[in-house]
Amino acid sequence: MQLSKSKKITALLATATCSLLNANVQAQEVKGENDWKFETAILYYGETDRVSLVEGVVSATKDFGDQHILNTKLVIDTLTGASATGAVPQANIQTFTRPSGNGQYTVAPGKLPLDDTFRDTRLQLSANWTQPIYQDTRMTVGSNISREYDYLSVGANVSAERDFYNKNTTALFGLSYQFDSIDPVGGVPIALSNMLVDSGQFGVGDAGEAGFNAAFDLTRESDSDDKTTIDALFGVTQVVNRRMLVQLNYSYSNSSGYLNDPYKLLSTVNSNGETQSIVHENRPDNRAKHSVYAQTKYAFDNAVADISYRFATDDWDITSHTIDSKFRFNISDTDYIQPHLRYYQQSEAEFYRPYLNAADSLPVYASADYRLGEMTAITVGLKYGHKMNNGHEWAVRAEYYQQDPKNAGFENIGVLSSQDLYPSVKAFILQFSYKF
Amino acid sequence: MNNWKIEAADGYFVGSFFCMASHCELLIDTNDALLASHITKQAADEAFRIESKFSRYRSDNIVHDINRAQGDEVSIDDETFSLLTFSDTCYQLSEGLFDITSGVLRKVWKFDGSDNIPTKRKVEEVLPFVGWKKVEFNHTHIQMPKGFEIDFGGIGKEYAVDCAAKLCVKLAPDISVLVNLGGDIQVTQPRKEGYFWQAAIEMPAEKSKHQKSRFCNSQTDNEVSQAVVKIAQGGLATSGDANRYLLKNDVRYSHILNPKTGYPIKDGPRSITVASDHCIQAGLLATLALLQGKHAETFLKQQDLKYWCYW
Repeated sequence: MQLSKSKKITALLATATCSLLNANVQAQEVKGENDWKFETAILYYGETDRVSLVEGVVSATKDFGDQHILNTKLVIDTLTGASATGAVPQANIQTFTRPSGNGQYTVAPGKLPLDDTFRDTRLQLSANWTQPIYQDTRMTVGSNISREYDYLSVGANVSAERDFYNKNTTALFGLSYQFDSIDPVGGVPIALSNMLVDSGQFGVGDAGEAGFNAAFDLTRESDSDDKTTIDALFGVTQVVNRRMLVQLNYSYSNSSGYLNDPYKLLSTVNSNGETQSIVHENRPDNRAKHSVYAQTKYAFDNAVADISYRFATDDWDITSHTIDSKFRFNISDTDYIQPHLRYYQQSEAEFYRPYLNAADSLPVYASADYRLGEMTAITVGLKYGHKMNNGHEWAVRAEYYQQDPKNAGFENIGVLSSQDLYPSVKAFILQFSYKF
Repeated sequence: MNNWKIEAADGYFVGSFFCMASHCELLIDTNDALLASHITKQAADEAFRIESKFSRYRSDNIVHDINRAQGDEVSIDDETFSLLTFSDTCYQLSEGLFDITSGVLRKVWKFDGSDNIPTKRKVEEVLPFVGWKKVEFNHTHIQMPKGFEIDFGGIGKEYAVDCAAKLCVKLAPDISVLVNLGGDIQVTQPRKEGYFWQAAIEMPAEKSKHQKSRFCNSQTDNEVSQAVVKIAQGGLATSGDANRYLLKNDVRYSHILNPKTGYPIKDGPRSITVASDHCIQAGLLATLALLQGKHAETFLKQQDLKYWCYW
């Protein structure tokens, strides 16, 4: 029973001992009592000729041991630039009143009307606490608050997660409640009311200004409005084998209250496609949405594939499909690259229309918001990540996003046939993240 | 709650608790009672944590999940992966003699000091359920054939000693602490005044007629059941069959079983104590030496270690 070869095993055993004990030290440090773990990221999102956004995120997580985990997150973003109003381009110069009622802006012939007054800073704070509540069951409670110039959002969420079958199956049930209060610049416009434009009809000087203001106020119904959203989620995650994991989620979301975008407009055109007036949009005050999500992750020896599909449908008749795929290739023990490809397709809301016909009676609901129209969108990106010797990790992500609105069968009448009512939105995204 | 206590001694504190079926002791080179109790509590919690996580006598831990999986894959965490990797290295280094799946042999071998030797057939019945090379594992999962079981008993106590010692270094980087779990020992650093710690290690007092007793490299008396060793820093572990053996027709069957044959190792020493940098390393070397049977001392000499060997 004598060992035949490598008779002196002390050195090899010492190496194995060191890696055993050091591995465990690391494990303990992760669970360490005073160790906050931080994830930070800064993101730039820029649309060609439209909005750009800079966003900073700091997320801090503390593990108090025994799966008691506190996560807090702070997000600050600044949005600047112009956004499509919903009005159609025309062959002549168009004049619009700013949403505040103070001043006007003009749109050149053949150009899509964009409102360039957008400038906003948003501050978002959230906190979540997770702990085991029963054998193999964890519970998370959390709350969040988000504030921007014309918006306040507060919410609370609770979820429970339970492991079954040697932790090979995990079931999740979650509920959340969100209350949003919107305080639009210039007040909440009356649905489908005409946008008031000062073309000299109120006279000049202080009297003219007072006349305009009085008339402008008549197009406003209140200073602010609000909405509430309730979400429910049920999900199951299944470990299929040591390489593969599958997740299935169903979620239901119900929003009610003020669901309009107070800054979105529609053009009312005559039979020749010429704008007669501009009206404020109106959407139903309730929206119920169902979505189903399936995700699978597969680990190869040096790569991980992550592919997901989401189907969503709501009672506004918007149906969407999203396919998202990420492939992470570990090019060394410390570096990886991750290509990303995402495809999105949606059908238009039943009340979406690119413009209104002056000859027709006003519909109850109407919106020309391109985000409610038929469209496809594609994202192509690449991420590179590196883990440093001190255990910190950084990553850089660059992505290109293109949204292509489609004509959902509406006729481009008269002069509109020579205008591009469905221009693409192109954006570039750059993110740098750092974990320590 | 986990019971522990501290007592003042001559210039140091003694913390004690009972864990892993052993009396456990901490010698803490400080006069600060608060610090001593903090260290004792943390070390005891760590030992209890490892016992509850890796004991095969419990039904609520990872070892239980793995052992009742019946061929299914079981998810494992990082720490379990580290221990499996270490066990795998030991299996390779010992050319299959150290095998954490060999615990099922105890279903037929009951080492209670009796003459109850199992029949050859009974041994052959359980032998197909032994064999580490049939076990597959990676960072996240382990999969064993049906009927297989693992047992970290061969390294668990020593691992707990090292983990507790590591924790002591973290809590009190400048203080010497001796961690002693039932004779498996780790000292974090030399004591301030340059004194050695003295630790008692268990040695078999009783000896069989046909075997002569001798200590190697030892300053202790071969008639006592406890030997006192001086230790400044590092690990110390003992492997042996002081109370666990079978005796039939004057043949003593050691509780150290050869996983390849299913039978006890013959003609080996009854107890081996090894000193090394870390307790788990010392424990492994002592066990591997015992598995060499009559070549135990040759093996130990090749390793160039300080050891105490009792035949």
